Amino acid sequence: MTPPLARLDGIVRRFGHISALDGASLELRAGEVHGVLGENGAGKTTLLSVLGGLLRPDGGSIELDGALVELSSPRVAWTHGIGLVHQHFALVPRLSVLENLALGRRDVGPGWKSPLVTIREQATLLSEQTGLSVPFDVAIEDLSVGDRQRVEILKALLREPRLLLLDEPTAVLAPTEVAQLFALLRRLAEDGRSVVLVAHKLDEILSVADRVTVLRGGRTVLTAVRSEVDSRTLTEAMVGGPRGPEGPPDSTPGFPAGSGDRPERSTVARSVARLAGVNARGAGGGVALHGVDLEVSGGEVVAIAGVEGNGQRELALVLSGRLEATAGVVEIPEDVGLIPQDRSTEGLALDFDLAENMALALHRDPAFRRGVLLRWDAIRVRAAEVRDEFEVQARDVATLAGTLSGGNQQRLVVGRELGRRVDLLVADNPTRGLDVTATAFVREELRRIARDGDCGVVLISADLDEVLDLGDRIFVLVRGRLSPVPPEQHSRDGVGALMLSAKSEEA
Amino acid sequence: MRRLEPLGVAAGALLATAVFAAGSLWLGGYSPIDAAGALLRGSVGSPVAVMSSMVRSVPLILTGLAVALAFRAGVWNIGAEGQLYAGAVASVWVALSWSALPAVVLIPAVLVSGGLAGAAWAAVPAVMKVRLGVGEVITTILMNFVGILLAAYVVRGPLQEARGIFPQTDPIADAARLPLLIPDTRLHAGFLIALLIGAALWATLRWTRLGFQIRAVGAAPEAARISGMISRDRVVLATFLASGAIAGLAGGVEVSGVTYALYENLSPGWGYTAIAVALLARLHPAAVVGTGLLFGALEAGAAAMQREAGIPLAWVGAVEAMVILFVLAADQIRRRYDA
Repeated sequence: MTPPLARLDGIVRRFGHISALDGASLELRAGEVHGVLGENGAGKTTLLSVLGGLLRPDGGSIELDGALVELSSPRVAWTHGIGLVHQHFALVPRLSVLENLALGRRDVGPGWKSPLVTIREQATLLSEQTGLSVPFDVAIEDLSVGDRQRVEILKALLREPRLLLLDEPTAVLAPTEVAQLFALLRRLAEDGRSVVLVAHKLDEILSVADRVTVLRGGRTVLTAVRSEVDSRTLTEAMVGGPRGPEGPPDSTPGFPAGSGDRPERSTVARSVARLAGVNARGAGGGVALHGVDLEVSGGEVVAIAGVEGNGQRELALVLSGRLEATAGVVEIPEDVGLIPQDRSTEGLALDFDLAENMALALHRDPAFRRGVLLRWDAIRVRAAEVRDEFEVQARDVATLAGTLSGGNQQRLVVGRELGRRVDLLVADNPTRGLDVTATAFVREELRRIARDGDCGVVLISADLDEVLDLGDRIFVLVRGRLSPVPPEQHSRDGVGALMLSAKSEEA
Repeated sequence: MRRLEPLGVAAGALLATAVFAAGSLWLGGYSPIDAAGALLRGSVGSPVAVMSSMVRSVPLILTGLAVALAFRAGVWNIGAEGQLYAGAVASVWVALSWSALPAVVLIPAVLVSGGLAGAAWAAVPAVMKVRLGVGEVITTILMNFVGILLAAYVVRGPLQEARGIFPQTDPIADAARLPLLIPDTRLHAGFLIALLIGAALWATLRWTRLGFQIRAVGAAPEAARISGMISRDRVVLATFLASGAIAGLAGGVEVSGVTYALYENLSPGWGYTAIAVALLARLHPAAVVGTGLLFGALEAGAAAMQREAGIPLAWVGAVEAMVILFVLAADQIRRRYDA
């Protein structure tokens, strides 16, 4: 039997202390559309980047046609016939389509002829063959997103790849465009290429792929022919639940009613925050919120599940008063604790030391002020307490935050915000990047301040275990719309299905 | 360790500057040894030379503080030169218009008007930045040209001397002149003012809430916003205006302490040299006093080098530029070494 077109085996790729890939494998055959599925952070994009030569793996092997290769740069990947279409387009907005297609292509045509002429000939031919039509002389910035994506695909095809990699190409497309794209991908595969399609939308992959690979936590957990799997088996593989109609046995404490370690809330719950019909603009290109209703009471943990980029950041910012709603009612306390999504830019000043980073949140607190002066002595004491309590690996409070590892930076932010006396705490993926012990500690702390501090906690997380473990009430946030998960659906399968279901996305 | 690092960067930059400055003299056919001798004699060789260095350092310290304060908040105010001219024009105008007032009233009025005019000059780019998002680097540079030309206009038009011959104003009244710190020298009270403002900025940045907000906005604008602190715009605006006021005060101090009149080309480019002064001091107000003195000594010594060794004054400008380049380079090297 002929060897597969490409075989990636045991690929490991670390970013700092975090392993994005931890033994992932992928086998690609000529003539197939291969779907790669996984939750956010499962390592899909990283795996594609490794195959596209953008990232060098820390371990594992890559074979093309049965021969070991080293894909040390995108250029090397191209010479092996691997074309990568990025999730975020790599096009120059001011240049025309043709100029973008010719970018970096001094290798085409005879030297005396402008590459623009040669590329125009080749691209015209190719677009006739594939049905990919784009206007060549229009500037990229004047094109729709769907057109831009066609340019990206055309750009990759001009290099005549045998392997075409597409990273979440459907995320930006309208349904009709998705149908067109899939028809194109099928034709490309039938010509003998191998097309790899990354998505986290299950139904899309099922509608187009010949074979499917599922990643979870940087590992390949499943590879199967399309006909052998259905959406249920794939969901379970993605979220890691055992098969069977019941939820996993260890998720029992996740049910809100009367489990041992969670006392009943007092019957007179104090409302600490209320959103009614809230709309908000996407912050920095993010997804907007549409008609969000949410009431948070003191003493409860409201857990919001969802894949990143569905309005999580915007919801966190609106709930904490950092982003204005464009419509609706927002009732929140004056001071809200916030563990932001991006700790290194939004949570910390990396050129500041521990004490100064504590002051970022504490400087409004009267206890740490004396007139116009800040009480640095008190702030330093507090910083030392947080450092000890949350085991931030730093010699002293004069250590610069930028010299800490990512996990320790997170401990610092989490510690700072958990230690404040607030009525409402918004935690956006507070345990991402933390190790097992620290994760357990942070979860326990969130539970504790809700219970003992009578604080309302809003936990936004892509981690279903976390959502089920901590949430007294559970919601899913999909494309900026928040919907409650009824208690009988408080299981991995129930919440996972809601997160991924096409129905709620189109709602 | 962390406290000493900036010193290391500054020392490394100065050492590299010295080597390249000596090399440039040698290539130009001058003796670096003779030049160094003249430099030292002219800057610290005698009590008179030391006084001269201190007097020359006053506008450099003040504009250096203005630049350092703005840069700390991430406000790239390149407009200290124009703000200085605006301050000088306003100060001279007040001094000439109310010359009959007693010194206790007139001197503060002269200095305050200089500061207000500098703040007003900075207000144009400041408001454009905060309200419209226009980059302040371009606008402050452009405002420099306007400020320089404003001074050129007033000394030929409304404020020209009574004789109407030279493009300069009449001398200001004695009551508008800053007192001398040491009689029969040129060292005026402006030096003390520069030290006081340096100390005030240092204390503000270090101890106060506003100072912390300024540093936070400069060091991590997103973290400052997200951590729920501050209206970033308000901090930027306040810092920008304060920076302009200090630069304007430098103009007022110069006309009321040294020249006693306004004329064209009052400043040999202090507002630009201030950037080197501030960067070499790592934007630290207390250190700005030191680097300002250093640059003042360099300018005093350069005059002696021209007199004694025939080295053109333009060479000093090149040396100042080298300081900026080497500070930036040393800083990058340190960062890479850290990472």
